Amino acid sequence: MVQTLDAPHAAPVAASHRSDIDIRNVSKTFAVDGGTVQALADVSLAVRPGEFISLVGPSGCGKSTLLRLIAGLDVPDSGTVAVDGQKVTKPSLTRGIVFQDHRLLPWLSVEANVLLSLNSVAGAAEEKRTRVAELIRLVGLSGFEKALPHQLSGGMSQRAAIARALAPRPRLLLLDEPLGALDSLTRGYLQEELLRLWEHEGIAMVMVTHDVEEAVFLSNRVVVMDPRPGRVRQIFDIAGARPRQRTERAFVEVKQDILDLLHLHRHAA
Amino acid sequence: MSTAAPTSSPAQTSSPVRPALTRLGRLWRGALLPIALIAIWAAVSAAGLVNPELFSPPQIVLHTAIEDFASGAVPFALAATLLRALIGSAIGISAGFLVGTLLGLSGIARRIGDPTINSARQIALFAWIPLLSAWFGNGELMKITLIALGAFFPMALAAEAGCRNVPVPYREIGRVLELDRLTTLRRIVLPAATPALLAGLELSLNIAWLGTFGAEYLIGTGYINGMGDGLGAYLAAAREFARMDRVIVGVVSLAVVGLALDRAVVLLSRRALPWSRH
Repeated sequence: MVQTLDAPHAAPVAASHRSDIDIRNVSKTFAVDGGTVQALADVSLAVRPGEFISLVGPSGCGKSTLLRLIAGLDVPDSGTVAVDGQKVTKPSLTRGIVFQDHRLLPWLSVEANVLLSLNSVAGAAEEKRTRVAELIRLVGLSGFEKALPHQLSGGMSQRAAIARALAPRPRLLLLDEPLGALDSLTRGYLQEELLRLWEHEGIAMVMVTHDVEEAVFLSNRVVVMDPRPGRVRQIFDIAGARPRQRTERAFVEVKQDILDLLHLHRHAA
Repeated sequence: MSTAAPTSSPAQTSSPVRPALTRLGRLWRGALLPIALIAIWAAVSAAGLVNPELFSPPQIVLHTAIEDFASGAVPFALAATLLRALIGSAIGISAGFLVGTLLGLSGIARRIGDPTINSARQIALFAWIPLLSAWFGNGELMKITLIALGAFFPMALAAEAGCRNVPVPYREIGRVLELDRLTTLRRIVLPAATPALLAGLELSLNIAWLGTFGAEYLIGTGYINGMGDGLGAYLAAAREFARMDRVIVGVVSLAVVGLALDRAVVLLSRRALPWSRH
């Protein structure tokens, strides 16, 4: 599929019955030290167009594996992952991904890192440069275009990584613990930034996180997963207009419900 | 020391001075051993403990050095050696880079090429002389071939390892950005391999430098193709005529130029890798 800059994807139809992401009966097993670990067992999940959805759960519940399957970095042993009705078999620029370790190429400037994501996109060089500048402004990194990644703080690196993922106008943004390595203050800022970007872009976002409060703050739905083998335990609908107040009663209650469910599991294990 | 200047604190005055001092100190410590050796050499010679024919005293060596530099004998030999080393290593390093990169990128190429390369590199460089001289004679072609062969292996191995060991997270970036193979090579694989490539470059130049001297000293000196040129030929002639003063001048010149080459590569490495200094 060839993408172009001047013809972004048609906006998702809000009333569409079709899901943005359709995960059906997916299982995945990894070979580890001679044995095998079942990362996912018969997982099904549908992500709606334009939705912000979070995957939470203890380590080993397969949430990152599920994200990698959606990205096309891994393929399931059985079951299918489809995005917009198309079966996912390999990575695509239509599905942007941000990793916990920002993975900026250390030998390229911020600008060049973002520009690299437009390498396989049709369009004039001038147009691409404009798009890069726009993205750098959008994530608040103006003035740091020429900086090398090692000159940036953790939060700034993650902003650059988000700009790189968004530059080719993906239909979907996958976030693998994007704020996991940041201090709590930077984390709070970037949560609000993510919310702003989600509203600005109008695309679906799937985020893996350890932070239940972060999940409740951002998501339409929070998927709680169980480990060994990884599977969906329960899905929480989060009501309430954004930006949400973290001290509000409804917010605190749903957060507590999710935490209780996670702790319940920990005691049972 | 700073009592006369109460306005500036010791910390302020000493901070810009300290790096210069340590650099000077390091240089001084590095020079200590050679200076001591020269002093012992001078003392032993002056005391008449050794045969001056076999063990020239320092003042004679210095005199010869000045004479041979002024006459152009040493500069000419140095230039010939340096040129030969650079041509030979340029050929060997380029070939090593191409072959190593190919082996690093392609599993099939690796399975076909690796056993041969790993066997061939076990052969000592000068053990190639009988075979290569049968094909290429004892002239310039032979010398350049030997130098290039010496430079080839370190670079080929470094390029192969460098291209194979690109961290998986960076490779995955190439996949999610849908980069084609050439862009992946240029933007991800080769930059990630740069530290390995520079280490290979250093080792290749090192071996090429040793190989150049060996080629000049061992191949075709005097018997078939005339004396040849370069520091190796200068040293071979000095030994032939039992001029130990010239032998020492030649050896010291080799050491100084070899060290300068090595420093140049180290300096280049630091400039080429601004991101890995942290």
